[in-house]
Amino acid sequence: MPPKPRKPPSRKESGNRNLLIAAGAAAAVVLVLVGASLLLRGGDSNGGGGGSGEVTGIQEASTLLDGLPQERAVLGSPKAKVTLIQFEDLQCPICRRYQAEGFPGVVESYVRPGKVKLRMVGMAFLGPDSEKALLYTLAAGEQGKLWQFQDALYANQGDENSGWVTDALLEKIAKGLGLDWAKLKKDADGAVTLQQANSMADEANQRQIQGTPTFYVQVGDQQPYQVNPSSFEPSEFASILDDALSS
Amino acid sequence: MSDRALRAGVALVALAGVAVAGYLTYVHYQPEALICTAGGGCETVQESSYAELLGIPVALFGLLAYVAVLALVVWDSELARTLAAAIALSAVGFAVYLITLQAFVIDAWCVWCLVNDLVIVPLLAVLTVWRVRRTTA
Repeated sequence: MPPKPRKPPSRKESGNRNLLIAAGAAAAVVLVLVGASLLLRGGDSNGGGGGSGEVTGIQEASTLLDGLPQERAVLGSPKAKVTLIQFEDLQCPICRRYQAEGFPGVVESYVRPGKVKLRMVGMAFLGPDSEKALLYTLAAGEQGKLWQFQDALYANQGDENSGWVTDALLEKIAKGLGLDWAKLKKDADGAVTLQQANSMADEANQRQIQGTPTFYVQVGDQQPYQVNPSSFEPSEFASILDDALSS
Repeated sequence: MSDRALRAGVALVALAGVAVAGYLTYVHYQPEALICTAGGGCETVQESSYAELLGIPVALFGLLAYVAVLALVVWDSELARTLAAAIALSAVGFAVYLITLQAFVIDAWCVWCLVNDLVIVPLLAVLTVWRVRRTTA
């Protein structure tokens, strides 16, 4: 007896079969991708030694900034005609990138020769670690090393709001920079530091600063104007600052 | 819904995916395009080690997947529909993984990644699966 001819699959059966094939293929692809993601990932490019116990950047901060005049949040000669105002949050990874890529060039080419001074306006909008980092950085200014402290803190920046701003980290940075740790702690809790932080917050609010880093340039006593570097390359800031110096 | 409408829907959603994945890929290579804003997250997700696979940004994989889906929509055979659904379902699975990472490992959110993972990818999966189930034998 000849075999019965098979009925062709119905539209529904065909669709379901194709769906099963698609789902099976998808499952295999997902397994491969997730496996690759977990097994082959490299290191994080976020942050430094906040959680690992090691502190870096102390020597670099000192080399870059020691010997430069600084008065609390202002770095450079008070007679410098042009001021570069930096609105920053010490937890901001993009601020950290500016600190690593753009800041040293600005310091060497413009601050050290006395052409430009920098003014930091610290913000603490990213979270509790930002507030603690800012207060201790401002307190370091009472001992004349705000900018070294800020630089070293950036070098050891951890993941946002992970609790990376520990007393242990702050103490290591302070002692590495030759600061009086007991005085630093006391000043960080003090009224002067708090008033500075509040004043900076007011300035950021008045200018409606939406994010960090944000840069303003002030020529003499004129109104500061916002500048938007398209990258953190030294040449980008050179162009901005040369324009201001020639105005 | 007619198959023509479904096909157009798949194409539109895939185009939206190209736009979002394209932006995330661009941002990956041009990190200065980002600024930290209130609420945090910043570039934590984009800079994490999970943002790349074998040195290639995850966003770029997404972009290639959406482009492939667009090509399959143009081709439009039974096999093309099955492949498009396979790609979309893979994307759903991987999106679940990425959301889990953001929630429990990286502990930060990437807004545009979430738009992709919670809106575009599921929508694409629904539409492509619907088309496959309507496949004519």
